[in-house]
Amino acid sequence: MEEMLRPSDLDGDRFDRSRRIEWLDLDAISRTRVLMVGAGALGNEVGKDLALSGFRDITVVDMDTVAVSNLSRCLFFKESDATEKRLKAEVVADGVNNLAGTDLAMAVTAKIEEVEADIFLNSDVILGCLDNILARTHVNARSYRAGRLYVDGGMDGFIGRVMVVRPPDGACLQCGMNKSHAKVASLRFSCTGAKTVFHEPRMAAEITTTSVLAAIMVREVVKHASGRDDLLLSNILYYDGMQNRLDELEIPLNPDCLVHRN
Amino acid sequence: MVLLPFRIKVKNAESGATVEMELENDNTIDEVIESAATFWNKEMGAYVVRKGKKVLRGTMVLVDAGVREDDTLELVPDPEGG
Repeated sequence: MEEMLRPSDLDGDRFDRSRRIEWLDLDAISRTRVLMVGAGALGNEVGKDLALSGFRDITVVDMDTVAVSNLSRCLFFKESDATEKRLKAEVVADGVNNLAGTDLAMAVTAKIEEVEADIFLNSDVILGCLDNILARTHVNARSYRAGRLYVDGGMDGFIGRVMVVRPPDGACLQCGMNKSHAKVASLRFSCTGAKTVFHEPRMAAEITTTSVLAAIMVREVVKHASGRDDLLLSNILYYDGMQNRLDELEIPLNPDCLVHRN
Repeated sequence: MVLLPFRIKVKNAESGATVEMELENDNTIDEVIESAATFWNKEMGAYVVRKGKKVLRGTMVLVDAGVREDDTLELVPDPEGG
């Protein structure tokens, strides 16, 4: 029997429009195991973009609970989540699953430093949606050692940056750090005698910058999953939403960087 | 060896403002970052310095980083939030 062609069938395929992009490999994307560390503002947007891009194996790691102040820039968080002090990783995983219409995201509620290192080896790409330098350096080092692509985002108000770390080649996140990073990191943990004080700065944040950065981050992962590493950001991309500037900069590999020495 | 002071310009990427800085060859990029951030009363945060398209390593002394008289470096914030 001849196959029946129905124009309306084209609208019955969730990814029909994506399939029209020739280089996009949706099968490979659906098989890519994604580890997303951080389920705050960036994590919400990145989770949304991952689900809608066709990723079907996502692990979300975060140790925090939802607060009302998160609601201005977090798609999946509701007021009731804050009232009930729901765990961010679970709320984002639930939101991603609802959006995709299938269970594809799993939540891990823990500090990433306390999660077994195997989680990096069992992932194909790592997305850093973190809010502090110490966690970033940990994820950067673990990803590098596991030989996995690491895409890290950071933002403050209307500015942000995305770095792509591609082991075993080139610089890592830590290669680009200096004394000012160390100073900020040291302020997070200051030992005052027997007690350790944890400093939690309140940083400026708003949704439009978050959306731009998350889109860039997920697009890099889409390229990688589709076998187009030739199109990846070579180093770091700075974004200034106030001045409408987007600059791709080079970070030279630092031979003294601890990540490369080990 | 006598180290003669030389001048460069440092641009504030956020405001577009520029300041002249007198340095010696053995000053480091870390010192440039700290001086410029202090001059502009920057909030506590991480910053990098770029020359053209390259981010300069903090521990490098200026001569090794290829910084010369009349160069313009740019102080860029390295945002931490997520």
